[in-house]
Amino acid sequence: MKIALIGNQNSGKTSLFNLLTGNNQKVGNWPGVTLERKTGILRTSTAEVIDLPGIYSLSPYSNEENIVRRFLLEEKVDLIINIIDSTALERSLYLTTQLYSFNIPMIIALNMTDLAFEQGLRIDVERLSTMLNVPIIPISCLKRTGIKELIMLITKDTPTITNFPSLYSQPLQETIRKVAELLPIDAKEFLAIKLLEADVELSTKVDLDVNESISQLKAHYKLGVSEILANERYNFIEKIRDEAVSSREKPKLLTDKIDRILLNKYLAIPIFVLIMLLVYFLAAGPVGMFLSSLVERGFAALNDALANFLVNVGASPWAVSLVVDGILTGVTSILSFVPQLLILFFMTDILEASGYMSRIAFFFDRIFRKVGLSGKALIPFIIGTGCSVPAIMASRVIEDERERKLTVLLTPFIPCGAKLPIITLFAAYFFPDTTGLVSASLYFLAIIIILLTAFVLKRVFYKQKYSPFIQELPTYKAPNMRYVLRDTGHKTWSFITNAGSVILFASVILWFLLSFNWKLQYGVAVDKSILSDVGRLFSFIFYPFLGTNSWAAAVSIIQGLVAKEQVVSSLSIIAKLSGGDSIFNSPLFAFFTPASAYAFMAFNLFSAPCFGAIGAMYQEFGNRRTMIKALLLQTIAALLIATLIFQLGTLVEGLL
Amino acid sequence: MSDMQTLDMLKIGQRARVLRINDDNPALKQRLLDMGITTGVIVRIDKISPLGDPFCLELRNYRLLVRRADVSAVEIEVLP
Repeated sequence: MKIALIGNQNSGKTSLFNLLTGNNQKVGNWPGVTLERKTGILRTSTAEVIDLPGIYSLSPYSNEENIVRRFLLEEKVDLIINIIDSTALERSLYLTTQLYSFNIPMIIALNMTDLAFEQGLRIDVERLSTMLNVPIIPISCLKRTGIKELIMLITKDTPTITNFPSLYSQPLQETIRKVAELLPIDAKEFLAIKLLEADVELSTKVDLDVNESISQLKAHYKLGVSEILANERYNFIEKIRDEAVSSREKPKLLTDKIDRILLNKYLAIPIFVLIMLLVYFLAAGPVGMFLSSLVERGFAALNDALANFLVNVGASPWAVSLVVDGILTGVTSILSFVPQLLILFFMTDILEASGYMSRIAFFFDRIFRKVGLSGKALIPFIIGTGCSVPAIMASRVIEDERERKLTVLLTPFIPCGAKLPIITLFAAYFFPDTTGLVSASLYFLAIIIILLTAFVLKRVFYKQKYSPFIQELPTYKAPNMRYVLRDTGHKTWSFITNAGSVILFASVILWFLLSFNWKLQYGVAVDKSILSDVGRLFSFIFYPFLGTNSWAAAVSIIQGLVAKEQVVSSLSIIAKLSGGDSIFNSPLFAFFTPASAYAFMAFNLFSAPCFGAIGAMYQEFGNRRTMIKALLLQTIAALLIATLIFQLGTLVEGLL
Repeated sequence: MSDMQTLDMLKIGQRARVLRINDDNPALKQRLLDMGITTGVIVRIDKISPLGDPFCLELRNYRLLVRRADVSAVEIEVLP
């Protein structure tokens, strides 16, 4: 049996999917978390449950709607579970009335009934069920009530018939029936309605001329067909609402009280800046640094113990060096950042789950629109503080293609979790008193550069084209800690496994290239090694913002393509092999000044991202040419910005 | 008609009844209809973005963010 889970954006669909299947999909409180369909198996059964993207309608104007339409048309679905947000009953039932036209058996899962009750709404579930002629189970995904009953109904008492009430007045109902009869395929009624609406996608695929019917309807109702249909669906829903819902006076909601402060005319933007400062202050500032230093000390002890052990058991010097200077230094230099990342991921997960993201889109939309982006671009930009890959994929919530590609191009500019080690390493050493502030400054610098780049690209390359911004504003929700912790744990764990695989592998190769010369003689000084010669070939590229030709910095930057945290790992290994007891004590990195340190951070922030993110960009752009152009643009921009920072910074340093 | 009013003209806190939506942009019109902005519905301007745009509308017991420009085709009658 195939069960499709369909509902509005932000209706709790993915939470229900997780409860029905025992799956652990990511849940958020912003519209559009589910971008693609996901499949799971219903508990205690063999039925397949498909979680589809959240939609409000079955029009062809958004990617999500197209995915759901195509799914319902092409796959044989046995049952639809229509999840409904009780607090937005009318808007939710609008989708239900459209699902009717597929004539697939349906169950309604009435979610958030407790919230509706708090808002003074009393829903007569039995009456609602009779009027819609669909079985209804009230559930609460948050409190996990009604789930057992829902599963029982699906497995034991599966609805098989469809006898939905008719929605439309005459002659509309009759016209739909007549057109449907002429269609030789399934989903007749749905297609008939879409033909009469002159649906831009389906009208070209179905060979049937309904122009005469359309003009007759227009003449009779004095309105366009899509307007008649929407009006009548909502009329039907209002009739049901009047009979099945009684409302008391709406109490003052907590959401409104919070919004009065967070969306206050003067406070909104300062509060946003404060929140992001707090995130970076906790992650990169004193708290995160303290925790990281503890981990670092532990690793240093482990390093010494292991070195002693290897020497005692008589391991050859090269083996000791490989294990201690190569593998351990490379891997632990990264792992000591885990506490800081844990804080960063946790904080951004809370932001995502609370409903604050939609507010950011609301108050930044105007600025973003000026540069050809919409407030929706904020969503990838915030997810990007974790990892660019899911952030680039989240750009799919943006409907306009040009705007979406621009967002894909700009998302890697956001300091992701893997760039945080680079930032905190340099910020902590060169700006010891203001580490949190300097780290946060790179986040805000990224936003400014994103706006500037978008503005320039819009002026130079694109014709101005307008796309609308229409989005639901969800109420605030206390983040579900189970989901937040699981997601934070998941992100942190993938960082750790990356250190244990990619970084470990890269460290071994790096150690080899640093310990041998071209004649494959072991034990040469690092600046006679294979890698030093390779680095000298293109160290000139980075001269403008480092102020010196450094092969060691050059090879480290380039390794950022493997993974951005590899930059730190590489600096650590080179420093260790060159005899420095910490990175900036090494003679190879003694040249760094605060100006070149900040420029170095900025270059790593804005240049071509890691291979993972490049892959995601390729997937979203759909062709290699655009991807290569984007990478070039990012790297050239990075070079310009870093050079500017270095030159200005050096000037300032000279004055001080 | 000189006194025809559209949704983008409303001020914060004002309520209005929707009369119809102009046909200028069918895709946008469909989207607004789908979100419940249909003939007869009552909308209220709940909030305005700190930067002056977009709007937050309250209708059908939920909140919808829209830009002024996107609702300039919605003809309304202001309610007292």
